[in-house]
Amino acid sequence: MTAVTPQLISATLKALNQVVLGKETQIRLALTGLLAGGHLLLEDLPGMGKTTLAHALAGVCGLEYQRMQFTSDLLPADIIGASIFDRQSSAFTFHRGPLFSQIFLADELNRASPKAQSALLEAMEEQQVSVDGKTYALPRPFFVIATQNPQSQAGTFALPESQLDRFLLRISLGYPDPAAERKLLRGAEGRSQLNGLTAVLDQRRLQALQSLVPQVKLSDALLDYVQRLIAYTRDSDQCATGLSPRGAQALVRSAQSWALLQGRSHVLPEDVQAVFTAVAGHRLSGRHEAQGTPLARHILSQVDAVG
Amino acid sequence: MKTTAKTTVNAKAALSYSGTVWLLVLQLLVMLPFVQYLPQWLIPVLVFTAIWRIRVVKGYSNRPGLRVKITLIAIGMIGLQFSGLPFPSLDFMVTILLLGFAFKTLETDNPRDGIVVVFLGYFLLAVHFLYSQSILAGLYGALSLVVLTAVLVVIQHPLTFMHNRQSTQHTLRLSASMLLQCLPLMLLIFIVAPRLPPLFMLPLPSSQAKTGISDSMTPGDIANLSQSDGLAFRVTFKGDRPPQNQLYWRGLTLNHFDGRRWQQFADDYELRQLQRHFEQHYRWQPNQLEVRGTAIAYEALYERSGQPWLFTLTPVSEVYGDVLRVGDYRVMARRELQAPTLVKAVSYPDSLRDINLQPMVRQLALQLPPDTDPRTRTLARQLRADSDSEQDFIQRVLARYRTQPFHYTLRPPTLGSTDTIDRFLFDSQRGFCAHYAGSFVFMMRAAGIPARVVTGYQGGEWNAAGHYLSVHQFDAHAWAEVWLADSGWLRIDPTTLVAPDRVERGLEAAMQMEGSFLENQLFTPHNIEWLKQLRQQIDSVQYGWRRFVLGYDQDAQHNFLQNLFGELTVKKAVFTLGGLLLAIGFLWVILLGIKPLRQRHSPEQLIYQRFCKALAKQGITREHGQAPGDFARRAAAALPEQASAILDFNRSYERLCYALDKNEDKTALLGTLKQQLKQLQ
Repeated sequence: MTAVTPQLISATLKALNQVVLGKETQIRLALTGLLAGGHLLLEDLPGMGKTTLAHALAGVCGLEYQRMQFTSDLLPADIIGASIFDRQSSAFTFHRGPLFSQIFLADELNRASPKAQSALLEAMEEQQVSVDGKTYALPRPFFVIATQNPQSQAGTFALPESQLDRFLLRISLGYPDPAAERKLLRGAEGRSQLNGLTAVLDQRRLQALQSLVPQVKLSDALLDYVQRLIAYTRDSDQCATGLSPRGAQALVRSAQSWALLQGRSHVLPEDVQAVFTAVAGHRLSGRHEAQGTPLARHILSQVDAVG
Repeated sequence: MKTTAKTTVNAKAALSYSGTVWLLVLQLLVMLPFVQYLPQWLIPVLVFTAIWRIRVVKGYSNRPGLRVKITLIAIGMIGLQFSGLPFPSLDFMVTILLLGFAFKTLETDNPRDGIVVVFLGYFLLAVHFLYSQSILAGLYGALSLVVLTAVLVVIQHPLTFMHNRQSTQHTLRLSASMLLQCLPLMLLIFIVAPRLPPLFMLPLPSSQAKTGISDSMTPGDIANLSQSDGLAFRVTFKGDRPPQNQLYWRGLTLNHFDGRRWQQFADDYELRQLQRHFEQHYRWQPNQLEVRGTAIAYEALYERSGQPWLFTLTPVSEVYGDVLRVGDYRVMARRELQAPTLVKAVSYPDSLRDINLQPMVRQLALQLPPDTDPRTRTLARQLRADSDSEQDFIQRVLARYRTQPFHYTLRPPTLGSTDTIDRFLFDSQRGFCAHYAGSFVFMMRAAGIPARVVTGYQGGEWNAAGHYLSVHQFDAHAWAEVWLADSGWLRIDPTTLVAPDRVERGLEAAMQMEGSFLENQLFTPHNIEWLKQLRQQIDSVQYGWRRFVLGYDQDAQHNFLQNLFGELTVKKAVFTLGGLLLAIGFLWVILLGIKPLRQRHSPEQLIYQRFCKALAKQGITREHGQAPGDFARRAAAALPEQASAILDFNRSYERLCYALDKNEDKTALLGTLKQQLKQLQ
């Protein structure tokens, strides 16, 4: 870890916090996801600042980004692009859709039909798209930040579990605290700041930070803890399905990324706990409520963090 | 699947490299002690096969084929032939076994072969006790047992995930703890299992020749004995220790003199014949003994000598043990001593013996070879004529030893083959106890007074640490007994007149000037004081081992159990034994069943548990799922005066658990962690 890294991180966080008020943890989680190279799913009710956060992330990272509002009549071609006949050259030429950008903002992903959703999700996994038998690579880095309304809302198509699994982290923002809300009401900061946002990171710096994530040390004791957690999700009757190996990998990678953001070169159990809800929440089936606490939190309280 | 893979051995699978090395170490360990007793080329054979084996495992050499194996076996058998071991003997059989044990190395490919080697190792370990039962051999055996069991563990359950040193330690610890769990049962069996006499006798290993006093005396023999510091026996006295100059340990009486050699009878008897002879003609007659004076009660533990002689203070009135008592007041064993033997006896040194001398005994005690030593006979007759009484005559003969220039030496000149007494008394006048006792008895007999030579040991070394007396081979001695009409047999030791130190202070003191005490031994610890004390301490431990472990025979067992439980009844025995067995079983259930449920913790986790306990005392308990960092911050907030100590501890703990590399040394940090915990407590 070079000397500039902590400053860079704190500068990034500060810039984000000026745009999205009173959501430090969620912002940190979002950045964690980006550094770990995973896609983000922001889930909450409309008007909670999901889109603002997504915008801010794209802006701060200094990456080229496209935003798309998903609707129920959206077709895959609208996202990916389409081959159109060019009269002059008498040939089909591929016109790239909005997906061809470094950060793709999929607003209200669950309003789109499963067909459109799956087109996006394929691109997320493969980092490439295939149209008419031709493969087009997506730009690097490639992030998808999707926002989603809770599934109880009318006119939504729930994402199947296999597709939820493609998102590294799921973050819900929640209501702001009164002080932050008052600031928001005064209109002094917040969304209005978006336009004046300067890019703290650029592509090179972002990749440098990303390359540090796998170097964060994982001790045996920590992996023991992670495995205890995973074993609990698989064995406990409170979870219909346990965490998959991909989920477990996501947990470890996110914890490393979180530890890096904390300025540490090794992972502590508290790092795992910090990211656990975001990693496991959408992967563990259903939203079982155990005595009023979300399932992920319940698991954390049941598994010994030490020993 | 997971568990079966762990617990069962795949017999066909190849033996791991570490398993092979373990086996080779084991084989060396088991074979090494046999070097003292058996052909020494066995070890090079093992080294050769071991190197071959390692090369095979590493892939440098091929596995030996059938032809090579047969050739090797043939070479081994030829070597055996040339070692000159007698055919049907223990040595021969054990050598064959060891040879096979060494050759087995060449074909231990899979775990099953390894297990065969380990079991053979167990057997050989037991076989070694046929050769030595010393405390050292016992300790070595225990050590080997731990290693053998460890190898069994390694073969069954190789610990591939550990470092070499770690896994070695772990395995040895496991093996030792398993054996420790067997200890209660072992002790119980040792104490209560019936002690049966051996069903058959093994031929005595050839390397253990007969030692100690022999049944004849030619001047020169005892000097040889006095060059040995081997132990003859040890004695514990019930009361006070008798004065040193009273300690004449009677072995056997020599009556027959042929001009050169003193022996028991005119004929050489085999032991069985000798015993029959004693039974028929020379039986112990209690009424010949008139007990007087104070009793000396003692227990003597005789070393293995290969001879039947026992050594007691004269005369013995009561004796316990499987012994034969003879009319000449000796006590002897019924068979050769092949193992340390314990005898308890009570002696009354002031008693009168044989006031009525049996004609046969008188005849034996007056025998002289015809026509030898004319000068001595003349002298004896002349002195007898000058004396008023037999007593006076004895005094005159003894006075002659004192006044003439006799010299006590362990390096006497040779006396030729005829007229040896004459040559000694008139010409050389140099000799040791055998010369003095022999010549004195000759003179007595020449004057018609019944007399005989007694051989045995005199004195002994008092071990202040263990309160017992050690009698060594160099304490061997010969003295005389004469019979007088009114006092029976009297002990007379003419050596005392020439060298009083010999009896008062032992042979070492007597030989100080000459320097001939144990002169053939390169290193004699006898003259360095602290070494002597150390030697006595060690000897004391060994005596305890002999007496209470090796000497725990049928009688000892009976006495011990009776002391413990009173009169033995079947009901009592069943209840006690059943209770003890139940207790041991219960112990095992606890050790085997409950212990594994407790999770094994690394040292840092144990310290952390103590940390949590210490904070819990102050009312702050860690929730189950709470991460160490969160807990420490909460505790620091709740206990501001200890905040820095708590946070310091947590920092070290987190570093130890989560920040160290796998191979990094933890010891320094563990020390810091303990220190920081102490500050908290």
